[in-house]
Amino acid sequence: MTVGSLISGRGWWNALLLCLLPLSAVAQPADDPAPADEFELDLGFDDELFADAFEEDGDEREESWLDDFTVRISQQVFGQVNRHTLELPPGFSFPREPMIESNRLGVNIRYQNLFANGWLLQASGQSRIYWNEDYEYIANGDRIEEESRINEFFVQRSFGSHSVKLGNQTVVWGETVGNSVLDVINIAEFRDFTIIDIEDARLNQPMLVWDYFSENSGSFSTFLTLYPEFNPAPVRGSPLFFDPGYHLPDYERNGDILFEVGSQWRYSIERSDFAVMAAYLIENQLRWEPPRPGARDSLAKKNDFVLLGFSANRAIGDMLLNFDLAYSHGILANSFSLPGTTGLSAPVDLEKNQIGTSFGLEYSISNEQNVSFGVAAQKLLDLNEGLPAGPLMQNDDFFGNWLVRYSNSLLDGDLVLSSTIFGDLEGDSLLGQFGVDYTIDDNWSISSQIVAISGKIPSPMVFFDEDLRLGATISFSF
Amino acid sequence: MNVRVIPLFALLAAAWPLAALAQPESSATAPATAFPDGREIMEQVEEYQRATSDSAFNRMQLSTCRFGVSENRITCAERPRVKALESVGKNYGPEGLDSRAVTIVLEPADERGIGLLSYVYDDADRQNESWIYLSALGRVKRIASGNSDEESEAASLFGSEFTTEDMDTGKLDQYEITVLEESTEGGREVWVVELLPNEARARETRYGRIVNYIDKERHVALRTDLYDHYGNGVKRMLASRVELLDGIWMARSATMMNLITNRLSNMAVIEIYTGIDVDDEVLTQRMLTDAAFRETQLQSIRDQVE
Repeated sequence: MTVGSLISGRGWWNALLLCLLPLSAVAQPADDPAPADEFELDLGFDDELFADAFEEDGDEREESWLDDFTVRISQQVFGQVNRHTLELPPGFSFPREPMIESNRLGVNIRYQNLFANGWLLQASGQSRIYWNEDYEYIANGDRIEEESRINEFFVQRSFGSHSVKLGNQTVVWGETVGNSVLDVINIAEFRDFTIIDIEDARLNQPMLVWDYFSENSGSFSTFLTLYPEFNPAPVRGSPLFFDPGYHLPDYERNGDILFEVGSQWRYSIERSDFAVMAAYLIENQLRWEPPRPGARDSLAKKNDFVLLGFSANRAIGDMLLNFDLAYSHGILANSFSLPGTTGLSAPVDLEKNQIGTSFGLEYSISNEQNVSFGVAAQKLLDLNEGLPAGPLMQNDDFFGNWLVRYSNSLLDGDLVLSSTIFGDLEGDSLLGQFGVDYTIDDNWSISSQIVAISGKIPSPMVFFDEDLRLGATISFSF
Repeated sequence: MNVRVIPLFALLAAAWPLAALAQPESSATAPATAFPDGREIMEQVEEYQRATSDSAFNRMQLSTCRFGVSENRITCAERPRVKALESVGKNYGPEGLDSRAVTIVLEPADERGIGLLSYVYDDADRQNESWIYLSALGRVKRIASGNSDEESEAASLFGSEFTTEDMDTGKLDQYEITVLEESTEGGREVWVVELLPNEARARETRYGRIVNYIDKERHVALRTDLYDHYGNGVKRMLASRVELLDGIWMARSATMMNLITNRLSNMAVIEIYTGIDVDDEVLTQRMLTDAAFRETQLQSIRDQVE
């Protein structure tokens, strides 16, 4: 199978083949030796089996400027395969036909260079080429579309107990992996269902970060950004795009200098790490209000608030407990929405205080199998205080989400089976994902995944109810 | 500059004594002849290992493959997956019985920069600690690997057949140690030393019985057989390339064979240096998160050894 064959219009056959490839690859031994299922403890062992390691003289290897680069080239095919009808009462139904949503070639490049003592330059970027049948290709008038983006781009200076980083980078708060209520510093883009993990969707922002590492008092970290960004609006034509009938513009800064600033103190004791943090933030998700009469653009509004947080973990044998607590002061109500959606419900400009918590549990069943569970819940305090007659709050009680992940690592990690179930606390939506990742060798890897969705009103996921998505990606890294 | 052993490898070579188990499947009987005290033998092995892991820097190659039998010998049945690692370690505690080590992946490219920080405590009441840095997470993550029950297995070391438990040192008090017999291994005279975990240790380990083949002259474990709680052999470690470095014998190659999965991993210590100047801050979480600091410190250490 070649990358080129994946680019053709018959993407589904390719996707199926890709899904089957890992299994065939596993079944195919690379050499002749008989399996050692009749293993005898006293069989001989060839001491020289790994002698090559000692024969290669690392000092003789010529260093190259290319050593600072890591490159991954990948081709992905992904689409909705279940033919069904979407019932949206009252009396509305939409047919859902199988279709390819993603058919794209990607190049990810990462660069890291210690260019002087204590100085580091780090950058990463990606380019995408959208082939036929990709939603970007269709949105571009059935023409091949190209897109490039710089992710990380920062200079770091470390000296003594200090470290200063300036440029596009990531700040992650909170312990709970996947759905922490404190992981709200960086923006994220959930453009389609090929990305369902926050770790993959997080985007970098321009920041100044100062870290101080104390010998006995933990570490202290402060960030400042003078150009806060907002979650990108869903791309027109993408699976997560819902056409509201008007434009969703960027935030109009009008020369105003916006900023976000925050600090975290982190400390470790035996079996536990904990942190406290405080920040002034602008919510990553913009609020889009319906346009004024006669206008085509909606009104994009920001939502700034103060965040106080606490996080901790505790290792108990093979189990790791994670806990996050967030208190948001002065946050605008009615502006919370699932990632990738637009929060289009009529907003009430009512400042509220909100408390949120996330709890996670990770457990190693065995050396190969891990299971984790996470739940995040938030609640607006004094919910109806100040609410005029008529409007209702979007979330009238606890709201949030939960997820369960399971992974089974086989062949010393070369084959990983994983599954994630994600839902909201109200029980209105459920997303199930099953993935297979197979590392063929040090360069080639292949992955495939199946995503099934169930949703009902009022969840935005109702638009994807009964959808079944299947896809595969083949990658070459060097 | 003394050229010696690597912390990680030293741990590996000496680790077998520490791994623990539940109930003795075949408890040792009193030896017919007067053998030296097993505890003293193992303490000597550990002493050598600690000496080679203190203020140490090493470069390693970790190779893993599925194995088979060819011409009555164990061999890889597929092309091994290879990782290049650099590790820095240092001993701590009043008697230097605790250790800290940080290991960074250099290759393959898509794993470059992944780091593992480990604190190993001699005190049986203290649980060892590990943190890993994954760029995808964007932060340091604590690893729970306490082996809280006998059915579980410690975390794998970078996807190999070596586990964090295999790297444990100390905690000899938790074992009943017996010299079973004299024998030969690889043409060398060895003491066959059995370690049976006590009840407390048995609850924390996958291994129910450990049998070490200790080179009488060089005090190096040439072979270690690891059994589960039911007396079944689950793993075997074989050491080779035993060399005298700065007055201490050490094995520069260790191969761990998993008899259940038919996979093996080899840890080849390509370069080993001890007695280097290691700043305490190198063995903290900063080494994982602060890339400029990490690269500067590693470069400083490389300059020392070169």
